[in-house]
Amino acid sequence: MGTDELILSQAQELRRGTVVLACLALLEEPQYGYALLETLGDAGIAVDGNTLYPLLRRLEKQGLLISEWNTDESRPRKFYRVSPEGARVRTGLLREWQELGASISRLTKGDR
Amino acid sequence: MNKLHASGTGTLTDRYVAEVVRRIPADQRGDVADELHATIADTVEARGPADPETVEREVLTEMGDPIRLAARYADRPLALIGPDLYPTYVRILTVLLATVLPVVTALGAALDILDGQGVGEVIGGAVEAVLTVGAQMIAWLTVVFALIERSGKRPGAAGRTWTPDDLPDRSAPKERSAAVYARVVWHALLIALIVWQHTAQPYQTDDGTRLDVLDPGLWSGWIWPVLAGLVGLVTLDAIRAVRVWTRTLAAWSIAAEAAFALPLVWILHRQELFNPAFLSDANGGWQAPQSLYTVAAVGVLAVSTHEVVKRFREARD
Repeated sequence: MGTDELILSQAQELRRGTVVLACLALLEEPQYGYALLETLGDAGIAVDGNTLYPLLRRLEKQGLLISEWNTDESRPRKFYRVSPEGARVRTGLLREWQELGASISRLTKGDR
Repeated sequence: MNKLHASGTGTLTDRYVAEVVRRIPADQRGDVADELHATIADTVEARGPADPETVEREVLTEMGDPIRLAARYADRPLALIGPDLYPTYVRILTVLLATVLPVVTALGAALDILDGQGVGEVIGGAVEAVLTVGAQMIAWLTVVFALIERSGKRPGAAGRTWTPDDLPDRSAPKERSAAVYARVVWHALLIALIVWQHTAQPYQTDDGTRLDVLDPGLWSGWIWPVLAGLVGLVTLDAIRAVRVWTRTLAAWSIAAEAAFALPLVWILHRQELFNPAFLSDANGGWQAPQSLYTVAAVGVLAVSTHEVVKRFREARD
């Protein structure tokens, strides 16, 4: 395995947990599955549909998201948005994320 | 909400969605199906109007295996036995295959010998027992663990945390196991010899009559506790060679040792061990003195007592 491949696979491990945080951050505004996938992709959070769609349902089951069918347009779509509980979890995760970032930059001060 | 099904995405999507939702709990099927239909249609649409069929194929290929996607929706493991249960599974399987299987095989072989089967048939039967009983053990244990994995409930035993005390003892059992294995072989050999001399009648007199070496009258009496005791000793020693030896097992071994030794002492005392016809033919006119039998009886008692004491010293509480 070359260096690039190693970086790629390790980076995937790093990103894995960030999808939940990104969803909780983005779904302040109601959004349906495919649009959310696109927004995440544009924001640089790469995630596959077959991971994201089941994840949204799981977060809903855990009470972090609320969903609603929107039948106003020609194609009915399920819209998700953050619940009050989801907002609290997002705050906690965000603090965790910032602390991790701070720790890593302290640890790697010499490398830059 | 099935009326909401997006139309015009073609039967390929319908078939794909059906494959996914039939693997998730019934109460979520309609909702997941509707959402998947809409999402796939959105994705196909976003990739442009050119050649929608090829695009649909492409999108479904990216969504991947319906079994995998359904497992994600149902939050179900994609492994038969997951990382939580795997250590317990391997430990139990090892114990079953290393101790229970040999004992079952030995008992089966002993029964075959009692039925008067030949060496070839006994070995064949033993090989068959190892294969079929072994396969059954692996299959049923795997089924049970797969069911536990899917039930989502973890019994206490599986969730028991590992501590360094669970490490196998490397030195002590090794030292005693060679001697214990020797005893297993010796007792198994005794069983085989007792049965063989009765069923095959290997001794032949000058006029061609075949005789039992041991008194045939024993088969309607004292030979049975002796054989039962020997089978018990083989089983217990087999356990002792590979597992932790406890006081309970030691107590059982007293029962087995007693079942074996006490009738044997009684038989020796009454000089009923050998077939009189065999003795008169083999010894000619010579008759063994009573003292010889007494020495043998005392010897059996001494060895058995020594064994019992040794087993108890080894036993852990």
